Amino acid sequence: MAFAIERQAITKWLQKLLESGEVIAPVRGPCGDILFSTIHSPEKVEWNFQNPLHPPKQFVLPQTDPIVKIKRNGERHEVAPTYDDTRRFLFNVRSCDAKGIAFLTRMYEMEPADASYLRRANNLTIISLACNIPCPLGFCVCTDSGPFLRDSYDVQLTDLGESYLVEVGSEKGETALSGVPNLFHPATEDEVSQRKRLEIEAKNHFEQETCHFASAMRRISTGRVQDALWEKMSDSCLECGGCNMVCPTCYCFSVKDLGRVGAWVRCRMWDSCQYAAFTLEASGHNPRAHRKERMKRRFFHKVSAQYYQRDGMVGCVGCGRCIKVCLGATNMPAVVGAIRKGKWNE
Amino acid sequence: MNDTFLPDIARLVDVRDETPDTKTFTLHFRDLKNREDFHFLPGQFLELSVFGYGEAPFCIASSPTRPDTLETTVRRTGQLTDALHRLGNGEEVGVRGPFGNGFDVEAARGRDLLFVAGGIGLPPLRSLIWNVLDERSRFGKVTILYGARTPADLVYKQELKEWGKRSDVELHFTVDMADASWTGNVGVVSTLFRQISLKPESTIAYVCGPPIMIRFVVQDLLALGFKAEAVISTLERMMQCGIGKCNHCAIGHRYVCRDGPVFNYSQIRELVE
Repeated sequence: MAFAIERQAITKWLQKLLESGEVIAPVRGPCGDILFSTIHSPEKVEWNFQNPLHPPKQFVLPQTDPIVKIKRNGERHEVAPTYDDTRRFLFNVRSCDAKGIAFLTRMYEMEPADASYLRRANNLTIISLACNIPCPLGFCVCTDSGPFLRDSYDVQLTDLGESYLVEVGSEKGETALSGVPNLFHPATEDEVSQRKRLEIEAKNHFEQETCHFASAMRRISTGRVQDALWEKMSDSCLECGGCNMVCPTCYCFSVKDLGRVGAWVRCRMWDSCQYAAFTLEASGHNPRAHRKERMKRRFFHKVSAQYYQRDGMVGCVGCGRCIKVCLGATNMPAVVGAIRKGKWNE
Repeated sequence: MNDTFLPDIARLVDVRDETPDTKTFTLHFRDLKNREDFHFLPGQFLELSVFGYGEAPFCIASSPTRPDTLETTVRRTGQLTDALHRLGNGEEVGVRGPFGNGFDVEAARGRDLLFVAGGIGLPPLRSLIWNVLDERSRFGKVTILYGARTPADLVYKQELKEWGKRSDVELHFTVDMADASWTGNVGVVSTLFRQISLKPESTIAYVCGPPIMIRFVVQDLLALGFKAEAVISTLERMMQCGIGKCNHCAIGHRYVCRDGPVFNYSQIRELVE
């Protein structure tokens, strides 16, 4: 069921959301760049923006995520799980980022489920904003994660000019609208067809950035990418881990005890499969000691048919952040293209 | 929803020196309920917490046929194991698990069993060896080959003597480098194959040790006529979560912590690193 809301009524809706939980939205930071942050008043929300460098992943999977409290009393230790049950609304996130969170949740739901992640994800309502104009580096049409969504949102907004089309995708979405029902009216036929037209136009707006996964997937899944090509590509990798940190679907983590002696917090922390220490064992043995092996691992995890089958999608939402952040240009479209062509930058 | 990362508290009730850098720790859950609920298979592993230092994976070295004893044998080799080695009787650690698939003991029934261990690779096999010896009549011939770097690096010296005395076990052990007092075999563990007679068609081989040792022993076994499915090993990776999420132990789309750590060689060959 689709609804519509007048542009000036959005403020009232946001006020209602602010009363019911924490609202996270794209805002303009002190230096003029856009970032996702908690807001306290509706006018902070940005409506015309290009996606921030960091996805909103941190609101379901914080970079440092406390999971167990450990306390020592003399000889005795007490341990207790810590949960984050804050009700949150992720407002005006782009389609790719909504899809990224759906990807993470699907993975963490697989048995054995991860209670710590799911408590946070279950309390999160995703209100996405469809992309009428795709961002220059985005290739979400290649990953089926934009510019408009068919799933993975609780509420999807489309900017129709004077009003917004409001599509409800879940019970959580219904709840997000229920506090102020008089702000929403059933969408007219005209509004629905306008949304369809905008989606077609958006798809026509994509620039040259494309990513042909199918051929790369066949080669990666069957181990038919030559070792020499991995080596050549990995020569350009600086092992900074930037691609992992800005990726909406990366979720590798390490577990560490932080804090002072006798009162620790065991934390789950983002890690990068591109770091040599990721697989390093205390004995000194490292099954992926070479950079080319780690790069192969990253793209196997993201692009192989084996993981596609498990996750129901490639491990990429086409946001283009790795293109922006990678100094060595070993980003998703470049590597997928090189595997398809069998050569790197020649 | 269970508390995925919440460890249970266990006390160290015995700490034994095995070698200058290896100790065996006997764990006893503090809460009765944990003691009653803890069931495991040989080959499974624990995530052991040394509080303040974090967690690391260690195989269970004791046998499920002796449920009152839970043991793990650990070489001091990094920060966490160094901290663990400093702990004494009565001190507390955290335990999560057991994790992993473990050895398929039922499938080994009636078969001849060959255990080939190198260095600190004996502890996971020890769990299975005692399981087999405690149910001795269910299995065929039992042969144990064990190699260590030097005589001082042999673990479970008392048990090696005990196994050596048994008429229903054939035990050979060797060291890479002998010292003045050593009168036994010298050479890598695969040199012991010359001393035994094997029936590859009816035998299952369990191989555990450093990666290089596994590679050579598996080659020898295949050359002797073992089928890849009958050569079984346990892989070692830096498992952190134990539930296939953190990706440290991923090999291709397989996870050592969930799909392993026990694999047969046919499965190992198919893993895409």
